[in-house]
Amino acid sequence: MKYFLLYFYSAFLFGQTGLEVAKMVENRKTPNDQSNTTKMILTNSKGKKRINILKSKSMDSNKKQIMWFLEPKDDKGVAFLKIENQGKDDEMRMWLPAFKKVRRISSKRKGDSFMGSDLSYEDMSSRKIEEHKYLRLEDEIINDLLCYQLEVIPNEKAQSAYSKHLSWIDQSTLMIIKEESYDKRGELKKTKEFNNSVLKGYSVMERVFVKDVQKNHSTEVTFEGLEVNLGIKETLFQEKNLKRLPKN
Amino acid sequence: MDKVISKYSDHPLRSWFIKQSLDSPIRTIIFSILITLFAASGSRFFIIDDDMLKILPKELDSRVSWDLIQDEFGSTEVIFVAFGKEGKSIFNPGAMATLWDLTKALEATSQVEEVISISSARRMDNNDGFMEIDDLQSDRNLNQEEVDRIEEYLEKNPTIKKRFISEDNQYFLATIQPYESSALNTFRDSITTISNPILIDYEIHYGGQAYLTGTMPELIRDDVVGLAKIGVLIMTIILLANLRSIAGVAMVLMLIGLSLIAMIGVQGWVYHLTGSDRFLFTLANTSMPIILLTIANSDGVHVISKFFKELRVKEDSRKALASTMDSLLIPIFLTTITTIAAFATMTVSPIEPLFGYGIIIGAGIAWAWFLSSLLLPAVISLKKWDNNSIAIRRRSIFENIIKKLGKVVLTHPKYVFTVGVAFVIIGCTGLSKIIVDVNMVNFFEPGTEIRDSMDFLDEKMAGTVDIRVRAEGDMKNPEILSSMRKLQSIMEEDEKVSTSFSIANVVEQMHRTVMDDDPSYEVIPDDQDKVNNLFTMYSMSGDPDDFSSMVDYEYKIGLITAFSKVMSTIEIFDYVEKMNREVMLLEASDLDLEFTGMIVILRDLVDMIVSSSILNIVFSLIIIGIIASIFFKRILWGLLAVVPLFSAVIINFGFMGYFGIELSHVTALLSSIIIGVGVDFSIHYISQFRRLSRTVESDKLSREVIDDVGYPIILDAGSNMGFGALLFSVFLPIQNIGGLMVFAMVSTSIGTLTVLAALSELLKHRLIEKEDALR
Repeated sequence: MKYFLLYFYSAFLFGQTGLEVAKMVENRKTPNDQSNTTKMILTNSKGKKRINILKSKSMDSNKKQIMWFLEPKDDKGVAFLKIENQGKDDEMRMWLPAFKKVRRISSKRKGDSFMGSDLSYEDMSSRKIEEHKYLRLEDEIINDLLCYQLEVIPNEKAQSAYSKHLSWIDQSTLMIIKEESYDKRGELKKTKEFNNSVLKGYSVMERVFVKDVQKNHSTEVTFEGLEVNLGIKETLFQEKNLKRLPKN
Repeated sequence: MDKVISKYSDHPLRSWFIKQSLDSPIRTIIFSILITLFAASGSRFFIIDDDMLKILPKELDSRVSWDLIQDEFGSTEVIFVAFGKEGKSIFNPGAMATLWDLTKALEATSQVEEVISISSARRMDNNDGFMEIDDLQSDRNLNQEEVDRIEEYLEKNPTIKKRFISEDNQYFLATIQPYESSALNTFRDSITTISNPILIDYEIHYGGQAYLTGTMPELIRDDVVGLAKIGVLIMTIILLANLRSIAGVAMVLMLIGLSLIAMIGVQGWVYHLTGSDRFLFTLANTSMPIILLTIANSDGVHVISKFFKELRVKEDSRKALASTMDSLLIPIFLTTITTIAAFATMTVSPIEPLFGYGIIIGAGIAWAWFLSSLLLPAVISLKKWDNNSIAIRRRSIFENIIKKLGKVVLTHPKYVFTVGVAFVIIGCTGLSKIIVDVNMVNFFEPGTEIRDSMDFLDEKMAGTVDIRVRAEGDMKNPEILSSMRKLQSIMEEDEKVSTSFSIANVVEQMHRTVMDDDPSYEVIPDDQDKVNNLFTMYSMSGDPDDFSSMVDYEYKIGLITAFSKVMSTIEIFDYVEKMNREVMLLEASDLDLEFTGMIVILRDLVDMIVSSSILNIVFSLIIIGIIASIFFKRILWGLLAVVPLFSAVIINFGFMGYFGIELSHVTALLSSIIIGVGVDFSIHYISQFRRLSRTVESDKLSREVIDDVGYPIILDAGSNMGFGALLFSVFLPIQNIGGLMVFAMVSTSIGTLTVLAALSELLKHRLIEKEDALR
């Protein structure tokens, strides 16, 4: 979930240029760590669903994250660790209980799907300000909230799968409310809707709904049992911790 | 009414018909043309489509399985594009860049759902302990070292290689899948339009069922137009040579033209109103215009030639025309009914387009009757005829031939009959040699571009005939996956089946990759949890669509796909039978397997063609026999009417066996055509026999009948050599129909004037006595 929080930050604020708004979002106050039970419902074009439930803990704005699979039954026991490295490929490891092995995995394409969902690794990663151009468009009211509207264009360094994004950011919380992402041909690829709440003084995301309009496939992610600033230690994000599900 | 009766005929209905033409010709002409134009206006709804699948009934098992697979896994009808250079390895940076450009350009097309090529494929590697899933071709521009790495990967994974590269490493293959809703002709056009300029420096070969189906409408359209022109030309020459009257020939051509446009329009209307695929114009329908052309010609020839003969005697065109129509209205009506009946039997055929064929040509024949009974005499009545013209004064070439033929037949009726029987016996012995073949590749002659391309893909690539097995069960269950792999191994035992793939192959590859790329682990894991782990791991970095052509969203239905080179009908039957046996052995309570794909479709089509041909022959002969018996008020006449037809059908099919002409869904309609067209000759002969038996002595009866109807029959058959136009078709089965129909015209017309004439002569006393009794 922290991916999303950081993600929002990378766009906006007002009286200002698009870039200034983006910096304001990036600098907004975020919790040190987070814990939640993530429920992911995938629905394909024929209405068939897959449901995944994971226990997730993260810190450093999701730069470090560990997840244990709870459901479906087939995946129970599988665990995933991700550590983002500055200037290097992300380090991703997976515990495969049936093989009793930890395997490192790698995906070189940022546009690749995360767990078969409509969210790609790029969607879930921090949007680096220097790798994007921000244009401020006319403000709009979305769901009764006055929003900044930004056009975010990735440059070559970003190696993005998209040509641009249109983002709507709530001016009061600096949280993203809605986004449209366009593919390299300039055609609408995904629409995203976000629901946020306030926890211990922090604005946090509690639901995101993504629809791939080209594939007519959608993903709804809800973050249940959300807790922040639990004092999660950095030692949690180690390979050995993949093998056992924490009690809380 | 009495006045009318006394004026033109002793029958009120015939008199009414003749009155319309002679007393109100302009009104009759305007009325006929307006209705024709209205019918023809339906041509805007006329659609050409030759999708092999639409030939099959929707409830047929293989069609049901096919539709299910299309629904679950998207269209399985694809276009293959192969390109390369003979004698040169395709593994070079330039060719890789071209493949990249081709793939990207095709992917950007709105009708394309997926392009499967090296440029779109993924690779799975174990790299220093990493399970790495990446693009097989990472960039457009690669150096030779990077290209070599791709080659190395493909050599390590031969199943994957077979899908992308020719056996000799000289050609790349891209497989293009359309969206299910795409019209295959526009899909095919857009693929070739995009590919040709990109691949300008290479040899290009296109293939696949979607390519064939997409190419057919244009080929059919061109073929029909070309054949109709040649048919009309042949007919015109024969008619001119015999009728020796430009006006007479023009009138017959007018009748043909109006019938033809009305029929095409009716097909459009019926398709528009019913929306049924049965009324699409397919390859099988290509012969339809030529057939109507000859039937309409037949009606016209009988009217014009009889009119000339009457005019020679009566020297008054109105009297001659009234007499002509009085004697021909009934036989033309009867031939129309029997011909429609023969074609109507096609509606019992399990082959879908033959249903539409039977109905639509029936409508065309009915309209040709209407026009020849009303419009044609009306037009004839408006012209001032020169009684001294050669056409009216002198006998034509055919008339002289007939006179000589009649003499031979009536002098030696037993010999003539014996020769006819001998031909039928020879024909019978050829029936067992008939080969059934429905593979569309064989519809094109070797040497044609389309055939050579398909042959190339068969020889150099994995083959173009797809074989599918739909597997229903838990696709993560190792036992089920192992059964699928076992079935694949059995499928590949046949030397013509070059490759097969399924989700089981992917599981094996993932297993090997996870186990440090150890080849001994390229097997299905023995534990379901391991399979689960493999899929979960893949989902963390692979695209969910990577497996969409092999397994459904819920991992409950899998698809095994194999490709085979073209098989003969016997090989198809043996293979399908063997696979069905194997499928039954492998099936379990938790695994349901259905063997399908184009190969099974072809097998079912063969069965349907055989049953369709038998049904058509039996039904049409029975119906014609019954109709003739009722009209001529005697069962013996009914039997005699079908004798020349039955003989002609046997002889034709026997010759097909001897000359190796394959029976297909296109040539299957031959029996209906032979019976439908040939029945006219019998009906005209019998009508005239009965008519003249009232006034002519028995010794002279047969000669008089041959003299009277022999000429129009031979002229009719001769001008029907328009069927010969079909010999110029680009489609082999249509060419075969052309040749066989020319032969059928000769055999049915000569059969009528020899076998039927000889039988009538032999049985004349019984027949005349009965006619007397009926009077």
